[in-house]
Amino acid sequence: MKPGRAYLQKLGGPGLTLMALALLATFPLYASVYSMTLLTDILMFVVLALSWALFSAPTGYISLAPAAFFGVGIYTSAILGRQWPLLLTIALGGAISFCLALLVGALTLRLKGIYFAMFTFGLVELIKHFWLWFEIRFTGTRGRFVAVVDQQTIYFTMLASFVLLLLTTHLIRRSRWGLALRSIGECEEAAAHIGVNVNALKTITFAISAIFMGAAGAIIATRWTYVDPYIAFNPLYSFMAVLMALFGGMGHPYGPVLGAAIFAYLEEVLLTRFPYYYMLIFGVVLIITVLYLPEGLIGLMMRIRRRVVGGPDAPA
Amino acid sequence: MAAGGWTRREFLRGMVVTGAGLALGACAPKATPKPAKDKIVVGMSRPLSGPLAVVGDSAFRPVYETFVKEVNDAGGIHVEEYGKKLPIELLVYDDKSDVGTMTRLTEKLILEDKVDFLWPACGTSFIFAQAPLANKYGYVLITAEGGATTIKDMLPSLPYVFVTLSFSDWYQLPVLAQLLSKKGAKTAYIAYIADLHGIEYSGVAGIEFPKVGIEIIGLKSIPPDMKDLSPIIREAKAANPDVFCCFAYPDQVMPATALSMELDFNPKAWVGGPCVNFGFYQTTFGPAAEGVIGFTSFNPKQSDAARALAEKLYTGKPKEIQDYWGHPLYWAGLEVWKQAIEKAGSLDQAKIRDIIATERFQTVLGETWFEGGLLSKDCHTGEIGQWIKGEYEVIGPEKWATAEMVYPKPPWPKG
Repeated sequence: MKPGRAYLQKLGGPGLTLMALALLATFPLYASVYSMTLLTDILMFVVLALSWALFSAPTGYISLAPAAFFGVGIYTSAILGRQWPLLLTIALGGAISFCLALLVGALTLRLKGIYFAMFTFGLVELIKHFWLWFEIRFTGTRGRFVAVVDQQTIYFTMLASFVLLLLTTHLIRRSRWGLALRSIGECEEAAAHIGVNVNALKTITFAISAIFMGAAGAIIATRWTYVDPYIAFNPLYSFMAVLMALFGGMGHPYGPVLGAAIFAYLEEVLLTRFPYYYMLIFGVVLIITVLYLPEGLIGLMMRIRRRVVGGPDAPA
Repeated sequence: MAAGGWTRREFLRGMVVTGAGLALGACAPKATPKPAKDKIVVGMSRPLSGPLAVVGDSAFRPVYETFVKEVNDAGGIHVEEYGKKLPIELLVYDDKSDVGTMTRLTEKLILEDKVDFLWPACGTSFIFAQAPLANKYGYVLITAEGGATTIKDMLPSLPYVFVTLSFSDWYQLPVLAQLLSKKGAKTAYIAYIADLHGIEYSGVAGIEFPKVGIEIIGLKSIPPDMKDLSPIIREAKAANPDVFCCFAYPDQVMPATALSMELDFNPKAWVGGPCVNFGFYQTTFGPAAEGVIGFTSFNPKQSDAARALAEKLYTGKPKEIQDYWGHPLYWAGLEVWKQAIEKAGSLDQAKIRDIIATERFQTVLGETWFEGGLLSKDCHTGEIGQWIKGEYEVIGPEKWATAEMVYPKPPWPKG
């Protein structure tokens, strides 16, 4: 590669990133209100999938807990949203999720493989039923109405949490911390032997990923207007996060972002244009992805890029 | 990919692609501009997939499909403003039984598709989430499946929302309590599902039953995911109540019925929640359904209009799909909607809202009107039903009864 071109690319990279973010930031100026609503939902799924991948992609621990932290955020908003300023509510939603994840992680991150997945799935159900019991027994409420916030504010707060998450992912991956996480994913015992404090590291990363899930829940609850424990702690949101990340590909942070964005948009198109065939078409797309795109969309894109651009590991 | 992960350049480039993709995705083609008015577009977000699909497909869907066909066969709804009849066109989206998706699709219908009218989503909590949206954008919303005491307190702040379905204290359980006490019932055992529905019904029964001298000798909640109800039925049997109430859904009421037969628990009155009122309850249990009590709102024998509606909805279809509780009320809601448009002579939501809120209409229920956003309880042509000789009769209130309440219920058939 010529030095000049390399220099241009070096300059162009951050420039283009800023442009993309500027595009997203100015989106409400030229797009319809509904496009903004849709993009908010897409960003919400992006946040869920990417924060899931923040912990699960490098370590290989399959967590089915996103719905639990998401739900905690939703309820924070439902309970405090009427009295507290929005940003404080969101921050608290993230903080409570963080504490919960810290506790749960410390207790259970010694479990491995399927046991951890099962436990985290159980966590969603546990919180749902505990909360249902608590609400009925002590507060006498059956569901709660959430303070409504205008679309633009919801959009920008969701965008902001996406940017923060992206930054966090980037910083962790490029630090010794990220390397240590990957070593846990490759061989946990070896990692422990070379001096990585595996349990502390896993727990803190798990908890950090939960912050963003809680924040996303606290933000989106303001658009749902009414929540009850079944709505807030819906295991569907755990599965969606995992599916989206797998669909996009876990080998790269943009995998989950791309996966969630395309997945959520595809779903919207199917639900509105082909409502009676939604499940059928969606199922076929998933099967094709699993069969032919084991590395997800990002894997496919990389293969195409290598074929076009060439490079050290281009296919012959 | 290389073992060391991605370089910053690759990372940033990916970010650009994603950002652009996100923005492009959301800018997808807008709906085409509206042609001159030649139809009334009605938008709905319905659970076509997911756990609520079975409810939506058997409750409101057969009603609105029959209604739209009938109206369109007659040329449509006459709207003065346009000087002609406009047929109804449905725009239905699938919310996959998810509240978040439902609220988004409702906004899409209103903001992007700019539908002329909004018809309701399915389920009580869905109505709770949809009602504030409809109200915010000034769309009349006449609800179908769902209703609860909680919504009564909200309705004053939601002038565009009208609730059709009857519920616990509107005015089912007061009527049930009266019927039972008149027959001399003294004790009741209540099993209820631990969700919004069960809590509300058990709570209202806890107020209404003691008022008429029926003592509640057992109160047990059923976790929604519990499949084996035998401990509860055994406990109820040991308590030996005059009345057994199972305030739950088909998933619990069906096995509770079967277990009561198996354990020979035969109280003088066996009351079941939303399940007993469906035709499939009788086709499943046959003679064992005799004497079982549930909720209702009409019977075809009550009037010519009622018979005509039953023929429209059920002729040539299996008995399973019959629902004498919900169907007539949803139908009446649609009739009110159509007549309000004709009276307004316009598709203006505010005008139509005022007419629905203040005027009276002729529907399958007879004279029909809304009181503070709720279909007046004086319009209900029945509250409590009972399976008698294979028919789901109205047994209360007395004014609308098509048969005398059977008390005590006959024993379960043997064998």
